[in-house]
Amino acid sequence: MRSKPKWLFPVLALLPVLGLYACLRIYPIAETLRLSLFKWNIISRRKPFVGLDNFVELMSDPLFLEAIFNTTIVAFGVLVITIPVGLALAALINGRQGLRRSGFYETSIFLPHVVSLVPAAMAWKWIFDARLGPLNALIGWFGIPAQAWLFDPALSLVCLIVLCSWQSIGYAVLIFLVGLKNVPEALYEAARLDGASALQAFRYVAIPLLRPVMLYVSVITLISSYNIYAQAFVLASDVQGAPGHLVRVLVLDMLENSFRNYRVGYAAAEAVVLLVIVLVLTGAQFRLFRDRSRA
Amino acid sequence: MDFIATSVGTFGYPTSPGKKRHAWLSAAGLLAVAVALPMLASPASAEKLTIWSGWPDLVPFYKRVGDQLKAKYPDLDISVEAIALREHEKRLALSLPSGAAGDVIEMEVEAARYLEAGLIPEPPASIVEFVKANYDMTRVKTATYEGKIYGVPLFQGQGALFYNTDTFAKAGLNSPPKTMADYTAYAQKLVQRDTSGAPTVSGWSLRLSGGGSGIAEKYWTILYNFGGTLLEEKGGKWRAAYANEAGRNALKQYLDNVVTYRTVSPEMKADAEAFELGQTAMFIRESWVIGDIAKKAPNLKYATAPLPKGTLMVPVDLYVPNKGPKSQIAWDFVQKANEPENLLWLLENTAWVPNRKGLDYSAVLGKIPQLGAFVNTPADHVFFTVPAISPASEILTRLAARLEKAFTDKSLAGNDAGIDAFLKSAAEESDKILAREDLLAKP
Repeated sequence: MRSKPKWLFPVLALLPVLGLYACLRIYPIAETLRLSLFKWNIISRRKPFVGLDNFVELMSDPLFLEAIFNTTIVAFGVLVITIPVGLALAALINGRQGLRRSGFYETSIFLPHVVSLVPAAMAWKWIFDARLGPLNALIGWFGIPAQAWLFDPALSLVCLIVLCSWQSIGYAVLIFLVGLKNVPEALYEAARLDGASALQAFRYVAIPLLRPVMLYVSVITLISSYNIYAQAFVLASDVQGAPGHLVRVLVLDMLENSFRNYRVGYAAAEAVVLLVIVLVLTGAQFRLFRDRSRA
Repeated sequence: MDFIATSVGTFGYPTSPGKKRHAWLSAAGLLAVAVALPMLASPASAEKLTIWSGWPDLVPFYKRVGDQLKAKYPDLDISVEAIALREHEKRLALSLPSGAAGDVIEMEVEAARYLEAGLIPEPPASIVEFVKANYDMTRVKTATYEGKIYGVPLFQGQGALFYNTDTFAKAGLNSPPKTMADYTAYAQKLVQRDTSGAPTVSGWSLRLSGGGSGIAEKYWTILYNFGGTLLEEKGGKWRAAYANEAGRNALKQYLDNVVTYRTVSPEMKADAEAFELGQTAMFIRESWVIGDIAKKAPNLKYATAPLPKGTLMVPVDLYVPNKGPKSQIAWDFVQKANEPENLLWLLENTAWVPNRKGLDYSAVLGKIPQLGAFVNTPADHVFFTVPAISPASEILTRLAARLEKAFTDKSLAGNDAGIDAFLKSAAEESDKILAREDLLAKP
């Protein structure tokens, strides 16, 4: 009797999940790619094929270029803050494992990641308020004049970076902690016997071993930062029209083009550009963090 | 309970064929009961009418109308789903093409897109007659496509000046500004500053920041009162019309107030909130502010005045997007909402100005005199509106993004050539959008 091929069962077992993945992930991406080549108005009956026209128009669209610039600044700003701060905090917490209040430190650092985004952004909006905010009161003690945090184009970018970093650090710390706990104690022992200080052991033992974890955290942080929207929207909006400077980010620009201007094809072209950027940056991160010892 | 426990408990275990059949029958019976229960719970005659609004402050109004309609439809259930305007626009964009919108919906000028796409059915002849008989046809433009009426106007947003009478009296001013030049002169007298010279109470709160098209709409109002307009129509097509002297004067007025005289600054509280807190002496806004002040600052002493020449008017119309048995109830609801008694209630309780002509406002004006600037405008006061063309919103949004930067650009203050270059570049962008949609008029 002919036996069934070995691959049949795993393939059959995976098929439902793969089917779902294809429907929920692959198909929308393929459809976005298709739409980007059409003048696809959400309500118009005529949706002509325009080839690469949407992409050509994007390249000279000042709002899109501003959005891509702002988003990139925010994404890299968040990355640059999150990785070192997250790693340092994780190392500090890891060093206090088993001691009093270590659980409290872990919880308080992770808390911003689980707090609902809109109320958190509202709280930060108050902190950044030019006239009543505690931040200006704080810098006032050092003789620094009050700043229009949410109205100055450069400062409002800084505010957005601070808000997004505050949210992402908790998650990074959690993942780094898992990584640090998996570093074998014997390696630290060996380093200590070789005369390494705690800092040197962290630098030359822990960090190289954390490369895969750092890759994961940096990829996740960068991708989520490129997709920010609600933070920028809440910081600049007000029901009574007393808003702040709206930091134009890519997702906000896409939403505006889709649902206010009804240009879904054009917004799809923006989404394709975002996809390419994220793919290229993820590829670069893989290259940067790859484990050279295996080469 | 035993029945459920027994039948469910047999699943998954080896059973005799008879037992198995019994289990399946039990499950089928349960399913039938589950499906039938909701049907039994509500009588077959009950109808649910869903109202989609972009103005949450109108919920009590629609509920009141719904309650009145129950005299005709006793089992009618009215559900008012009111969300923020921008979100409302998004849900319309997603639901109208798929036929999943509410039974009665509000729309502003964006209705043009849906009418053009054939997504809104024509109303019954009686509704068309009702509109023709009770409304000034200039106010029905946004609900009209190719000469046919598709919706019923309900209310309109229109601007007027709000000014704090106490602050005016302190500054020795006993009447509102009459010309646009007066506005800046007044703002200079009204502004209050701290010891460093920074304004603490703005003389005139201008819309200087924020996303969306609001900045451009406010600029348009000032532009109009300088004798200009944003878009002009020529033979059914349109062209940007603000790169000229009126456009320059309007932008200069912003720069004078923000950069030169600093009667206002972008980081100050603005708009209705600032007015209610006594942090601005005057500002231009729609009539809804009256209702907001009544709730949040009932002791504020203020008055209103019409703008020198005219104001941007944004009509809000009601449509019934779905054909079917419920559409007649929906049109009855629309007509009920537009009964004089309800419209006067709307004005008194929300301060939104009804569109219907021939209403007697005297009783409401006796209670709320500030509404006078909105309902008793001078005969030569002009109401202009955003053209009912599909790229209108995009043109305004893109212009707003440019204006926000220009308002605080010190290099433009006192620099007519710089202002002209800015306006020329912005107008070119507006024309480019019109050309893309094949709507650009020849110069």
